[in-house]
Amino acid sequence: MNVEIIGLTRRFGRTMAVAGVDLQAGPGVFGLLGPNGAGKTSLLRVMATAIRPTSGTLRLLGRDPGSYGPRREIRCRLGYLPQNLGYYPGFTAAEFVEYFALLKEVPAARIPAAVAEALDRVDLSGQAKTKLRALSGGMLRRVGIAQAIVNEPELLLLDEPTAGLDPEQRVAFRALLRDLGQRAAVLVSTHLVEDVGTACAQVALMDAGKIVFQGTPADLVARGEGHGGGDAPLERGYSAVLAGTRS
Amino acid sequence: MTAVRVPAVSRPAAAMPGQLRAAARLLRLELRRNAMPWMLPLVFALFWFSVYRKAMAMPPLWHPRAASLQIGALLAFASPAAGTAAWMGSREARRRTTDLVAITAWPSWARQLATWAATTCWALAGYLACVAVLYGVTARQAAWGGPLWWPAAVAAASIPAVSAAGFAAGALVPSRFTPPAAAIAAFFVLALSTQPINGSQSYWNISPVVAYPWDIGPDPGVATFYPNLPDLSIAQVMFLAGLTVTVLGAVALSDRRGGSWLRRPAAVITAAGLLAAGTAVALAGTGTLNAHGMIAIPAVHDAASDRPARYTPVCSHTEIPVCLNPAYASYLPAVALALTPVLHEIAGLPGAPVRISQAAAIYQQGPGNSVSISMVGPSISGGRPVYHVLLPDQLGGAALTTSEFIAQVRSDAGPNILANFIALPRSGASQAQQAVLAGLLKAAAVATSAPSARGAPQPVLSPLPAAVQSAAQRFAALPPSARHAWLVRHIAALRAGRITLAQLP
Repeated sequence: MNVEIIGLTRRFGRTMAVAGVDLQAGPGVFGLLGPNGAGKTSLLRVMATAIRPTSGTLRLLGRDPGSYGPRREIRCRLGYLPQNLGYYPGFTAAEFVEYFALLKEVPAARIPAAVAEALDRVDLSGQAKTKLRALSGGMLRRVGIAQAIVNEPELLLLDEPTAGLDPEQRVAFRALLRDLGQRAAVLVSTHLVEDVGTACAQVALMDAGKIVFQGTPADLVARGEGHGGGDAPLERGYSAVLAGTRS
Repeated sequence: MTAVRVPAVSRPAAAMPGQLRAAARLLRLELRRNAMPWMLPLVFALFWFSVYRKAMAMPPLWHPRAASLQIGALLAFASPAAGTAAWMGSREARRRTTDLVAITAWPSWARQLATWAATTCWALAGYLACVAVLYGVTARQAAWGGPLWWPAAVAAASIPAVSAAGFAAGALVPSRFTPPAAAIAAFFVLALSTQPINGSQSYWNISPVVAYPWDIGPDPGVATFYPNLPDLSIAQVMFLAGLTVTVLGAVALSDRRGGSWLRRPAAVITAAGLLAAGTAVALAGTGTLNAHGMIAIPAVHDAASDRPARYTPVCSHTEIPVCLNPAYASYLPAVALALTPVLHEIAGLPGAPVRISQAAAIYQQGPGNSVSISMVGPSISGGRPVYHVLLPDQLGGAALTTSEFIAQVRSDAGPNILANFIALPRSGASQAQQAVLAGLLKAAAVATSAPSARGAPQPVLSPLPAAVQSAAQRFAALPPSARHAWLVRHIAALRAGRITLAQLP
């Protein structure tokens, strides 16, 4: 298993952002759905080793990120796209991706090829030498994805990756997700249920810091049968699970 | 047991060459996208305004220009370097990349070190360009000597220190106000660091803006007759290196996510930096002003530095040659012009000096920061008398125009040369001796009312009785040949005090 989580909590002051999550994920694309404030981003940040869990057990790529050495090994094989991508406007797209390739310890000799490949996979080869300040929001999002995948991660955590992408780019991105899921565990946090339906083999639904549903997209669709809320089958399943949890 | 353990790819020793290559690539990237190059035009303008212009107004001597470089360049570079480093240090927080970079394999300290190093490299490159220009121009103008590298090294060592301090401020307090605050703080810390200095034996001499005993100013008389003493500069460089290491070590220690393999060396590095800086401060406290106008620190002092510098003087082609240290070659025409009327009066006479020679000054610490400057040894020496003079510039004080300089040299040295020639005693001079001296001074157009420079005691000339003044007038009014002829015949008797006022022509 690439991700093994047992009873994980994360508290910010009085707020319990993640309130006892159990989760296991192997290679493949795993969708993480939930309303705003459900704890998806906090859970991804814990899995990205950006913040430590308050309690519970977390193992990533077979290692315990609590100690420095294993955490560093995990980070070499980790890709992460945060919800709000920060960037350096003076860097070109290629430089930005190269910067993260270096920090992720991609071998120096492989960096030019790795950067070119990552940019190519997000269809930004033509903008490699364009400064980030000159790129559109959707292009910046793709640069963020490129930096996340430049080290060919075994664990890829994407927080709202399709926000800002146009429909054509989203279709291409889902294909990329399926491709990446062939060998890596890809956890995608999203509000867009169609992303989950087309790209994810497994899906979990979070609410109030807990996972209230885990299964396949088909299972989620089945939970929505006979439920009135939502236009699409997955949306109906989503609404039905949330309604059931809250009642 | 341990066969299944994953090889320690995170240990730096395991993949050092690869990591070095990666570090070089990262540094190159940071150099390419650093903010410091944008600040360099401003820095160059500051340097030109506050350092270059002033240095070019100084005589073409290495010591005062090197000292002004150390102080001025430091003040010109400190604020921009500290502010820019703070800007770069706060980059991750300002650009909200904290999470993105925090989850990478590199320790944040190593990543930040690359950013700091790039900022510092640009600042140092700018500084070296300024040094090259100033020293290049000075090399073309200076008649003797060579570049003094220790003052330049102190300013160079200061740049990483202020840059590290600014970077640490930006990294630890990442606010938009931190860069301007760091720039202002750097300026005031440096400018105010000299305020507590009291005498040469002060711990505060460790401040990198101290290039010479405080309150003397950039004295042209220093490091000309004796080699430049690097004692204080060595302590300052040691202090600045220690400070840089301490600050960078502290930044590494503040990285709570770093493992013990990082934090332990960081603690050792911080302690070593503190030790070096503390030792340097202690050394500076043992410094004393030496006789040659420089601060000597016994623990680092090289006795060879106390030996006079070897040089061949440059001499004028006047009736009595005027010889100066070759560093002062550009002064020679003015000094010769100043003394020619005086020397013309006594040239060829028995007992007249065979040469006027520039002497080294001797420095003595006074109360507080005051320093007294005087001449080494008697003003006249040898069987074939050589008269020794100090130039006004060797005595410190305000800069003079050429005409002021000429007037000062003539009024300082003229009366003394003539008084020595007629062996005027300090007290009890005969009226005839006083009249001849006053007459010669008048004939040589020496303004005796000009204020004497420090270290150049004047012979007692006033008030003269009316009869003496009248005789002096008569003597001065004689044709030069008649005056000269009378002196040839009577100088021995005059010196012996056997000539009366009535016997004067």
